[in-house]
Amino acid sequence: MEPYSLNAFISLAGGASILRKAEAADTQRDRGPLHGRLIAIKDNICTSELPTTSASGILKTFTSPYDATVVKKIQKAGGIVSGKTNLDEFGMGSHSKCSYFGAVTQNDASRGEALLPAAYTGIIGFKPSYGLVSRWGVLAYANSLDTVGVLAQSTQHAEAVFEAINGYDEQDPTSLTPTTRTRISNLLSQRRRNSSLRIGVPLEYNIAELSPEVRRAWICALELLRNQGHTILPVSLPTTKRALSAYYVLAPAEASSNLAKYDGVRYGTRAEGPDGAEGVLFSKTRGQGFGDEVKRRVLLGAYTLSAEAIDNYFIQAQKVRRLVQQDFDRVFSLANPLLDVGRTGRQNTDEKVDVLVCPTAPTLPPTLESLEKQSPVEAYVSDVFTVPASLAGLPAVSVPFKASQGQEGEGEEGNIGIQVIAQYGDDNLTLDVARIIEETR
Amino acid sequence: MSSPELAERLQTEAAPEVVPFRKHLKDEAKKRRLEGIPKPFRKKSKGSDPKLEKWELTVGIEIHAELNTTKKLFSSAATSINDAPNTHVALFDVAFPGSQPHFQRETLLPALRAAIALNCDIQRKSTFDRKHYFYQDQPAGYQITQYYEPFARDGHIILRSHEGIAPEDGESITIGIKQVQMEQDTAKTLQQPPTTHLLDFNRVSHPLIEIITLPHIHHPATAAACVRKIQSILASVNAVTAGMEMGGLRADVNVSVRERHRVDDERAGHEYYGVRGLGQRTEIKNLSSFKAVEDAVIAERDRQIEVLEAGGVIEGETRGWTLGSTQTRKLRGKEGEVDYRYMPDPDLGALVVGEDLLQHLRSTLPMLPDETADMLVEDPAYGLTMKDAKTLVALDDGDRLDYYLDVVQILRQQLPSDLQSSSKFAKVAANWVLHELGGLLATAEQPWTANTVSSAALASILAHLLQRQITGRTAKQLLSTIFYGDTRSVQEIIAEENLLLRPMAREEYEALARELIDANQDMVKAIKEKGQRGRSCGLWGRWCGAGKRGGWRRNGRRMS
Repeated sequence: MEPYSLNAFISLAGGASILRKAEAADTQRDRGPLHGRLIAIKDNICTSELPTTSASGILKTFTSPYDATVVKKIQKAGGIVSGKTNLDEFGMGSHSKCSYFGAVTQNDASRGEALLPAAYTGIIGFKPSYGLVSRWGVLAYANSLDTVGVLAQSTQHAEAVFEAINGYDEQDPTSLTPTTRTRISNLLSQRRRNSSLRIGVPLEYNIAELSPEVRRAWICALELLRNQGHTILPVSLPTTKRALSAYYVLAPAEASSNLAKYDGVRYGTRAEGPDGAEGVLFSKTRGQGFGDEVKRRVLLGAYTLSAEAIDNYFIQAQKVRRLVQQDFDRVFSLANPLLDVGRTGRQNTDEKVDVLVCPTAPTLPPTLESLEKQSPVEAYVSDVFTVPASLAGLPAVSVPFKASQGQEGEGEEGNIGIQVIAQYGDDNLTLDVARIIEETR
Repeated sequence: MSSPELAERLQTEAAPEVVPFRKHLKDEAKKRRLEGIPKPFRKKSKGSDPKLEKWELTVGIEIHAELNTTKKLFSSAATSINDAPNTHVALFDVAFPGSQPHFQRETLLPALRAAIALNCDIQRKSTFDRKHYFYQDQPAGYQITQYYEPFARDGHIILRSHEGIAPEDGESITIGIKQVQMEQDTAKTLQQPPTTHLLDFNRVSHPLIEIITLPHIHHPATAAACVRKIQSILASVNAVTAGMEMGGLRADVNVSVRERHRVDDERAGHEYYGVRGLGQRTEIKNLSSFKAVEDAVIAERDRQIEVLEAGGVIEGETRGWTLGSTQTRKLRGKEGEVDYRYMPDPDLGALVVGEDLLQHLRSTLPMLPDETADMLVEDPAYGLTMKDAKTLVALDDGDRLDYYLDVVQILRQQLPSDLQSSSKFAKVAANWVLHELGGLLATAEQPWTANTVSSAALASILAHLLQRQITGRTAKQLLSTIFYGDTRSVQEIIAEENLLLRPMAREEYEALARELIDANQDMVKAIKEKGQRGRSCGLWGRWCGAGKRGGWRRNGRRMS
């Protein structure tokens, strides 16, 4: 496939440069785990060799003076950066149609909400626990939610990349400290793990908007798991319904703050004429530099943080976020390692589960034509199943699944993702369960 | 601090020429010096104004001070004062995409010292918030500050009558401190008319503290005294960069007036942090000197009274003040008020301060100005008057005090034990440090430095004087000689100029008297024959004068 025809890349490393690096890699004695692998980086992650535009007009000519920590780690593990992939401007959108560089028909990179694109394109998407992978050099959309993720053809590849980029980084103040990492790994090693897993089915995810194909795939995946000897248990996550609204208050609020730095003064694109000529400082530069969806979310965020609205929106949404996290803590048999032990009041673990399995998106991937007809809020609904785990900072994997295996008439649009969610820090378990589903395909 | 109203100005007109704060302070200090005697405290004695009997003024102050730290608040870039522009800038300081804050723990130490000295409750946990507004000196589009949970709360300072407070405040007044918070400074904008603004990001993210007082101030002089006192406290605990001469301090004042006979009705009016019954306040931003604080408060008080007496209403608005002006001017009204959209910074975790650190800081905190002044008065080893003690403490950001303590220390070692035991020498030393040396500085219009006359040299002069080895007049001449650049030691000058006091024998005094009587026969006659006994005083004086001169063996050379 010719990448440019899909508009998947914003910039590509030159063929000569890639060959040179591959040859150099061949001469190295210590071969890293990603030795010679071509890895595409999403264009909101800083690279010093290729531009970093975040698909925004305001950064259309920007090249970062430094590499993000994840880029350094990938290169150290032997990976070769092949290019920078397209995205919704600053990651704002669910379908990669809101790019300055045109809409994307396929996406193949690492970062952020890795799950939805993975589900739509039939590949593995892995979002690690918040704080495991450094965000230094990742353009902030919503700092408290942003997580570098991995998109790959198989769980094995995803795991290899994750192992290369996982690790404490003192440059990221939200990076999980070595002490906490040790505590978590001790906690995990103390757990007795049965070969038979307890798999939770969140009842609140069975929503009216769920398309029949997706529901069928979900049921089918659960049956497969049961056939392998795992126990399926219904669980309740009562705050789920409010999670999407909370997310769309918190993320735009943080985005409106994070994007305030783009004023064209120190870097980036600047509008012609004096700043403030149109009454408000930088309004011309920002008006020209940002696309509609970014402007919509910046305005939304500015409103929910305003003195008159903050109590009813931002503060309420933070409370919902805490409730969402408590929902998950109630159903997982593993205690949340970030909370004080004992405070969560662990009771009998019989009713608790090891992982949750649910769809990644409520529908099949929409076509660009159908998206044109959607209102912005309708588009937000596609995030309904990925948002709760995001709010709680939990690890999640989307694994491609075809309910109608053997049936004809399923093209690319027929991709369905099944999502595996686990307790904070239990990243490897999500990958293990994903592998089970992957192998039964 | 720096700010939306500046942004507004930028958009509408070229900003009026702003006198740099440091220059202004220097000018003010120079003016004080020219007035002769060091005069840090002004006295205001105005006749009673009927308007002020009817209306009561209320003032609260916000002070921003640059902390004395080696690194910026959120990066390892160095802090600097006058280095080449844009030479100390980390990625985060200029808000590069993908960069994140890295809190520098050492910056907390001077902030904690300041808060302890201001008698605050240090919070175990505090957090950082983003305050949003667009201006070119604010790279991220927000300033990181501590809005929701500041690191220090509920402090106070006591201002006493000799510190320049209004006479109506009596012996002393306590001003509450609502909170102290840490925050980032902004970049420097250098205006290049007509439309160019050059930016120097060296100052961006320099750590600041903002100190917010309660509206406990009711007189303009007290407002100025409050800022002065806070400045001296910050300097004494080494919390701020380089004292006022270096421009480490800026103030905003909140001013309101209310009718006195309605003060009792506390349910009416506005409320601020437990202080009730207040009038509508206005804020005057960016005052850069004590005088500006006092003058701006007076002008705004008078403006508000005038509006209210004419039946008008005070609008909650932000106003500005230009040096030398007699009126505040409106910058923006309530409708133009910026909503800062305070949001907890999602990248920065809470700051947790341990009790062990606080105990360490409390036990090593330098003595505060008030404590030092009390010590100089009460300790029999010094025994100074409160006036001299306060002056020593207040002058030259404490440098004069250090110099004085050095002189006393050296004297204590040099004097024989009988002289050491009395506090007299410490008083004499204070007199010489303040008045003799101060007089020379004033005449020469020279700023204070501890090197003009070293503490060792002054101590040596005083040791000779106190042991009656030289006369007072000789001592003054020695001081002046050294002040104007004689590099010889005191010992050398005394030896080379033959300045040692030589006590005269009785015969010599008699001979001198005879000489005088012979030379002034008319006076002697007047006393003897006309009984004009008063004239004997004149004769006596001449005898003393001759004796003093005779005390030196002058070698004919005049000392400059």
